Amino acid sequence: MSGASRATFFMSTPGLFRFPAPLTRIRTVPWGLQLWEKLTLLSPGMAVTLVPMAGKRDCPPLLSLDENELEEQFVKGHGPGGQATNKTSNCVVLKHVPSGIVVKCHQTRSVDENRKRARKILQEKVDVFYNGENSPVLKEKREAEKKKQERKKRAKETLEKKKLLKELRESSKNVH
Amino acid sequence: MELWGRMLWTLLSGPGRRGGTWGWAFSSWQPHSPLAGLSSATELVRHWTGVFEKRGIPEARESSEYIVAHVLGAKTFQSLKPILRTQPLTPQQLKCIQELSSHRLQRMPLQYVLGEWDFRGLNLKMVPPVFIPRPETEELVEWVLEEVARRSHTVGVQGSPLILEVGCGSGAISLSLLSELPQSRVIAVDKEAAAISLTRENAQRLQLQDRIWIVPLDVTLEGSWTHLLPWGPVDLVISNPPYVFHQDMEQLAPEIRSYEDPEALDGGEEGMDVITHILTLAPQLLKDFGSIYLEVDPRHPELVSSWLQSHPDLYLHLVAVRRDFCGRPRFLHIQQSGP
Repeated sequence: MSGASRATFFMSTPGLFRFPAPLTRIRTVPWGLQLWEKLTLLSPGMAVTLVPMAGKRDCPPLLSLDENELEEQFVKGHGPGGQATNKTSNCVVLKHVPSGIVVKCHQTRSVDENRKRARKILQEKVDVFYNGENSPVLKEKREAEKKKQERKKRAKETLEKKKLLKELRESSKNVH
Repeated sequence: MELWGRMLWTLLSGPGRRGGTWGWAFSSWQPHSPLAGLSSATELVRHWTGVFEKRGIPEARESSEYIVAHVLGAKTFQSLKPILRTQPLTPQQLKCIQELSSHRLQRMPLQYVLGEWDFRGLNLKMVPPVFIPRPETEELVEWVLEEVARRSHTVGVQGSPLILEVGCGSGAISLSLLSELPQSRVIAVDKEAAAISLTRENAQRLQLQDRIWIVPLDVTLEGSWTHLLPWGPVDLVISNPPYVFHQDMEQLAPEIRSYEDPEALDGGEEGMDVITHILTLAPQLLKDFGSIYLEVDPRHPELVSSWLQSHPDLYLHLVAVRRDFCGRPRFLHIQQSGP
């Protein structure tokens, strides 16, 4: 799912990697040289106000991936191909060059489907890489874990109440 | 080596020749057998990958992964839940893996070993010697779907588009088109009885039998295609015809040479024999401005282009050539325009 960018830019330069973080924070992130050069193309003095766009509550947009920054590997070039070949390897290896993150996807028997899924997984990993704790991916995980713990706690409490109630009944029986 | 060790070794090292004794061998050392270290899915994959590699079986790792995954009910090894990969397998499962692996050791194509394979998300039964769908062909179908969508007037109309597939094999192309174009109808022909039978079976499996007519037919036989005329002119003809150059047949891998129907592959001297027959018959069956989509050898775009030029009476023009995911010119779009 290619999410809409959470930042607005004056320039929609193809290949320009969009990011939501304030400009000052970017300097601490290991950006690829290529990206830095693109950044300096912005006219000097232009206020690059990175306004995070409101994402849907249930479907927060992630940083979108730029195909130009991806390196993809899947079985190809082995033999003549087509009818003359019978290959079953359709694992896709996808690399996000600026961050160095690599994803290997072999979830399905379709190269096409694995390519799509590899991109989705890579998009999530890249988002976490650049957004850290603020990434919707991690936020969702924390929320899910929190809910799980709460359910566990409530279940435990209910169980203990029942236990206590049972003990009270037992002891009151003995008294009479 | 202790008895259990010897039995384990013979079990795991090659094609079983003592079929019946395997069951006995297992039951005698379950559950006390110290097999723990070797009986998880991950361990089995590692083991069989080694066996395949030693015996020169191509795609050793992929083959063992697919076999183990298949026995555990999954389509790929990676899609198996992690816990299923580490827990011990049952003797039944081990036996099954052993049997399938012994077939793979005979260079049987994996798709025949498993008896099934996927094409564009559809699971199809696979039976030798019916031709196994290749991944490139998924792109041929993708192209046709794009083109059909573009001609929006044919979409949404019942019975439309009407498609003729020449050489249906397992039914992969026809059935994926039917499944992705809910209004479409298909006439699928093949000269091989086994292919007709398998396409019928796959159509039933996918509950698409109501929109497909499967006809035994050899399009290279004089006048045979006239039997198709009553079904009316078709919107498009699609085919992955045998296109291997005859001289290349003997270079094919043993998997292909020994198990797949050579007639589904051999296209004659320049791989053009069946292609030219399709191009000759198509105009009689196509509606005006109807299209032909073919998968071919990368040397064919030029050959087909010049052939069409020397047969102007067919009023066929090579409209587009599309590359496969390896960058090879693999697909042709030919259009009929004229009388």
